[in-house]
Amino acid sequence: MFGIRTWRALRRRGVLGINQRNGDYILAYNDRRLYPLVDDKIRTKKLALDAGIQVPDMYGIIDTEQGISKLQRIVETHGDFVIKPAQGAGGDGIMVISDRFEGYYRGASGRMISPEELEFHISGIISGIYSLGGHRDRALIEYRVRSTDLFDRISIGGVPDVRIIVLKGYPVAAMLRLPTRQSDGKANLHQGAIGVGVDIATGVTLSGTWHNLKIDRHPDTAHPVAGVQIPDWGACLELAARCYELTGLGYLGVDLVMDKHKGPLMLELNARPGLNIQIANDDGLLRRCRIVEDHLDGLDWTMEPVARRLALSKREFAVARLPEAPEAP
Amino acid sequence: MRSVKLHARLLAAFLLVLGVGSIAYQIWVQKVPLTESESDPVWVVDAQVSFQARENTPIKARMYVPPLDSGFTALNESFISNNYGVNVNRENGNRVVTWSARRADGRQNLYYRLMLTSRFAEPAPAVEDGPQFRAAPPLEGPERLAADALLAPIRQHSADVETFVSETIKRVNNMESDNVRLLLGGDRSPENRARVVDLLLAVAHIPAEPVHTLQLNESRDQQPELWLRTYNGKNWLYFNPLDGRQGLPDDRLVWWSGNKPLLALEGARNAKVDFGVHRNEMSALQLAQSLRFQDQSSFIDYSLYELPVPSQQLFRILMMIPVGVLLVLLIRSLVGMETLGTFTPVLIALAFRETEVIWGVLLFTFITAIGLSVRGYLEHLKLQLLARLSIVLTFVVILMALISLVGYKLGLSTGLSVALFPMVILTMVIERISIVWEERGGGQSLKVAIGTLIAAVLCHLLMVWQPLVYFVFTFPGVLLVLAAVMVLMGHYRGYRLAELMRFRAMTDEGGR
Repeated sequence: MFGIRTWRALRRRGVLGINQRNGDYILAYNDRRLYPLVDDKIRTKKLALDAGIQVPDMYGIIDTEQGISKLQRIVETHGDFVIKPAQGAGGDGIMVISDRFEGYYRGASGRMISPEELEFHISGIISGIYSLGGHRDRALIEYRVRSTDLFDRISIGGVPDVRIIVLKGYPVAAMLRLPTRQSDGKANLHQGAIGVGVDIATGVTLSGTWHNLKIDRHPDTAHPVAGVQIPDWGACLELAARCYELTGLGYLGVDLVMDKHKGPLMLELNARPGLNIQIANDDGLLRRCRIVEDHLDGLDWTMEPVARRLALSKREFAVARLPEAPEAP
Repeated sequence: MRSVKLHARLLAAFLLVLGVGSIAYQIWVQKVPLTESESDPVWVVDAQVSFQARENTPIKARMYVPPLDSGFTALNESFISNNYGVNVNRENGNRVVTWSARRADGRQNLYYRLMLTSRFAEPAPAVEDGPQFRAAPPLEGPERLAADALLAPIRQHSADVETFVSETIKRVNNMESDNVRLLLGGDRSPENRARVVDLLLAVAHIPAEPVHTLQLNESRDQQPELWLRTYNGKNWLYFNPLDGRQGLPDDRLVWWSGNKPLLALEGARNAKVDFGVHRNEMSALQLAQSLRFQDQSSFIDYSLYELPVPSQQLFRILMMIPVGVLLVLLIRSLVGMETLGTFTPVLIALAFRETEVIWGVLLFTFITAIGLSVRGYLEHLKLQLLARLSIVLTFVVILMALISLVGYKLGLSTGLSVALFPMVILTMVIERISIVWEERGGGQSLKVAIGTLIAAVLCHLLMVWQPLVYFVFTFPGVLLVLAAVMVLMGHYRGYRLAELMRFRAMTDEGGR
């Protein structure tokens, strides 16, 4: 029977299912009390700043309707910036301002935005249009990340980001998320972005996934997605591993961006990261998590320093045959 | 983690044993019917006593009636007689009814009616011990010789009381034998043969007594059939004196035992007793309820049937909610279909009770679609979430009112009776779907809405399926079994069916 064969094949490959992720990882490792730390981007950012983890600079917070008038003063010294809802999900409600012109703002797509429109958008964020369950929210104004040129040929609009799954401080899987036309510049797999697996040991991209399919080329640019070296990979891994100490969440998705000038920055954390990273890496998360758990069992409850954790991850999760880099244009 | 798993399994096992145990107890000990339609035969036995009264003499008619201590439950027993006093008393393990009257004229008819069923019958109680020895009757001359000649081979061919009696009956029914013919004295009626069997057993010191039985099958003019019974120290053994068969068939009712005639009359003549047996069907549930009034032990006590009828109706619905919840749980965890929360499909299923399922689905689809299009239009106006939702809900209510009005004008009032409850649930569903739309996009919300609708229809069909409703209501232990399944599902770690499709790309056959 088709179902049973697939089932066995998935089990053999150590693929993690939703039931098991919820029961054996999220429920077991993530204390519900800690969720607010990652659900609110402002709290996460403050936590990271205190711990010395690199994040995009925060220019200001607007949390009341009266506070909207502060906007002018907050962005006075910045030519470009991003406005985000603190508790938004899936990249909704994010407005990117890339430039200013004669008192108008220029959006990422080049559209001119009047100050009134911007203020209306912030008012929407505060009233909770974009927050889960429609609760009141805060608007966060922060540094606009400038994407490195490295991903230009394999992403369309928006900034690609790197998702790293960290189990008890050990990075177990990584994925580069590339926006597509369909995802409207958002790096969210549900909305049509593509995910490309990343070799933990070297930071070189592997093949990708798009709508649960395996793919080799970016659907919009037709360039191969494999074989791209992510810059500062060691720093990325270290940053992700340290997020475990930061939050105490044992099963964590860390989202990073590569800034042209500042290197890897931590964007946000996710307490229930998705499972498509398995298709992107063509490897089961369960298999990888078991290796870490077995390793931890032999440790007598002492926590290893970051460097040793990274060494284990690099050793265990290295991909045997790396794809070749695409030829230069 | 491992100890927690063990704990959960033990809990599930405990709930399962408790639930199954209570169901088993109800089925096998309390004899609760398994389905609502299950019916039992109820036997109506009529005995008509008729006689010619002598003028100016007091009349006394004594008739045996069944002792009611064997394998049957009496539903009803009545003595119908005009102007006669009725008195029932026990006498040597028999029951006797005495009709008496100072004077009567002409043909008299007395009726005795007994309604019996074999369900809910107590297993036949240990009847009082019988004798195990009796003195041999004095026999003289040729009869003595014939008896001895017959008994000698019987003794040889038998091992115990049981085989001895069977062997004796076989020999007496063998008409070839001169000894038998001598003892029968030319009268070959069953009564006489039984008498001879009894005589032979008496010579062998084996106690035996005749019992008179009636067969429970549809019949008129049935006459009691004679059986013999003997006590072997533990049980009464019944024998058919005509062919030596042992064991009283289940459909035989013992009417009385002993040598006395059925009816004894004083002050009357030409007595006749006619038996009629008639079969009725009665639903097992009704049977239990009618037995309850007789202070019989009945499963009705301490069950939900004790509640007043309106509460019973309510609990018939409430008890089905866990069934629906379990179905949604299975749909979500095993199949992987997305629904709006766990409880919403069950609530919609409850709403379908009032709207009927077809109308419910149409109404749900139509109103949700309209509600969401209003929402889509309002999105252009950049209204805030709460204001937007409030407007949507207001329009939904207006829409429902319009539908009801149009339906009423068209004479469709029954189909479109949008009651308060379904209205509230629909509005709530639209609100939640809108939120999903806001957070996860239109495609996702459509998927969730369809999933919810399918789950709700399945829940509804399951929750109104009468045999199941009856079963859950009658055997509340089912809920413990459901709880056990739920506990186990809480530790289910397998893939969902939808995931087999989702991760197909990772298997060999699904690869490029």
